[in-house]
Amino acid sequence: MTGRERMFEAFARREPDRVPVWEMAFNEESIIKLGAFFTDDLPPMKFAQQMTTEEKIKLLSTLFTVVRQLELDGITSIAILETETVDDDHVRDGWGRIMRVSEEGEATAVAGPVSGPSDLKGLKPYHPQQSELLMLMAAKGNFGDEIAQVMVQPGPFRESWMLLGSMEKLLYFYMKDPAFVHDLARLATDFILEITDMSADLGADIVALDGDLAFSQTTLMSPAQYEEFILPYHKEITQRAHERDLLIFKHSDGNMAPILDGIVEAGFDGFHPVQPQCMDIGEVKERYGDRLCILGNIDCTYLLPFGSEEEVDRTVRETISKAAPGGGYVVSSSNSIHPGCKPENYIAMVKAARRYGEYPIEARA
Amino acid sequence: MERILLLIRDRIVAGDEEGTKKSVGEALVSGLEPRKIMEHAMMAAMEDVGERFSRNEAFIPELIIAAAAMQEGMEVLKPRLAAGERGNGLIVLGTVYGDIHSIGKNLVRMCMEGAGFEVVDLGEDLKTQAFVEAYEKHEPDILGLSALLSSTMQHMKEVINAVRAIDPSALIMVGGAPVTADYAQEISASGYAPNAFEAALKAKELLA
Repeated sequence: MTGRERMFEAFARREPDRVPVWEMAFNEESIIKLGAFFTDDLPPMKFAQQMTTEEKIKLLSTLFTVVRQLELDGITSIAILETETVDDDHVRDGWGRIMRVSEEGEATAVAGPVSGPSDLKGLKPYHPQQSELLMLMAAKGNFGDEIAQVMVQPGPFRESWMLLGSMEKLLYFYMKDPAFVHDLARLATDFILEITDMSADLGADIVALDGDLAFSQTTLMSPAQYEEFILPYHKEITQRAHERDLLIFKHSDGNMAPILDGIVEAGFDGFHPVQPQCMDIGEVKERYGDRLCILGNIDCTYLLPFGSEEEVDRTVRETISKAAPGGGYVVSSSNSIHPGCKPENYIAMVKAARRYGEYPIEARA
Repeated sequence: MERILLLIRDRIVAGDEEGTKKSVGEALVSGLEPRKIMEHAMMAAMEDVGERFSRNEAFIPELIIAAAAMQEGMEVLKPRLAAGERGNGLIVLGTVYGDIHSIGKNLVRMCMEGAGFEVVDLGEDLKTQAFVEAYEKHEPDILGLSALLSSTMQHMKEVINAVRAIDPSALIMVGGAPVTADYAQEISASGYAPNAFEAALKAKELLA
């Protein structure tokens, strides 16, 4: 079975030959540290935004080496939107959003082109360029149909607040100006649908819809607010993905329990990453395992950064026994392999998934 | 309780910024003590929203609009509060180095202000030295550190050690998605809370 077939089986909630292993994201530093296990030909340690084109290509080829050497079942690509440098720490994208770059994670908008309803008239929607999906093209060219091509796309909530430059502002308008929130979501969704079409054209298999909707305690918005301001747009996006033969799952950190019914209703095929600090994967499997493929749950907050390889091994074994029986589970960390994660622990995670992930798997009490 | 105080409270809970400003002005004209307006109407309103938030009956949007209304009311009230009456204490807040996320810290700021503290918000992605300098400059009652990532969370310990080197009795609270009570204890933080509203309650408890 190829990695791609293995991922498709898991999404169909059937048992493949073994539990697939995939990762949503690796930071630059993590790619280079993991790459050092397999090659000496590494790029310098810096942000991708600060790398020369040659260095970026080397970073990508290091990622491909890691994926190949660890025999991962899928590879994740991101859209790298064109930006212009504002200063050492900030770039401006095609929407006019000022993004703060960070070595610890994705760039975040700190100022947007819109501050209120009156700014919408003058806003020129940004249309993604095919060249911005270069990573997907390179991954497809390198791996073809051998492994699943996962494409990360922004979600309407995140895209909307980035237009305002602040999540708080969007949540303020949830209460103060619902029509404006819908206008922003419309703009965001049209942009996302364009990327969805492009992803399909370029051979993606699975869409990961990004953008956290929850924090440790609960969701950022009430279930009613999710239904009003996000669900209709999620429906449009999943529908377009399915029309284009793409599978699609929702990514969100935090405790998503209050709106998981909505995630199912929206038409998502899966949910990632079931953060172990706030959600129990056994419960999620029991309640949603017949409708959603579950991805993730291997803790990257404490276990992968500070735990031992033995602890990683034990956790992967326990997680597989809870989530994998019957299919519908993909091993991955509970968010991403960030610079705090020990590379040895990530390798131990992948090895444990192989050791305990052969089907049939017996559920353990 | 006076009707006007109840009205202010309700307007803050509803996020009515203009109404809050107007009612606080009316309360002052009617001769009510500013401190009483702050404690019995404004802090009471934020406590009401905060408690519902802790019980998952209110969500972040409700908290944000209440904080915005409280802020408007405070603009009217502040000039009338006597020196030394301006709050329950001074909190200096910031997000540690490498971490550019702000929403958690901003919610804590709103809840701290709602609980009657004065807050100096240092911003995000701050090196240890920036916290030390701010501590020396402002001499806060409590220093608050925020982090969203487990990689950046590790800078909290550096800040705590550096600040305690100049003031061994410094009260330092920590919070953010990856932080737990155990971790807070391990790095010798004075306090931890799992959400913004409880952070304000914890700050009150530490200063009681």
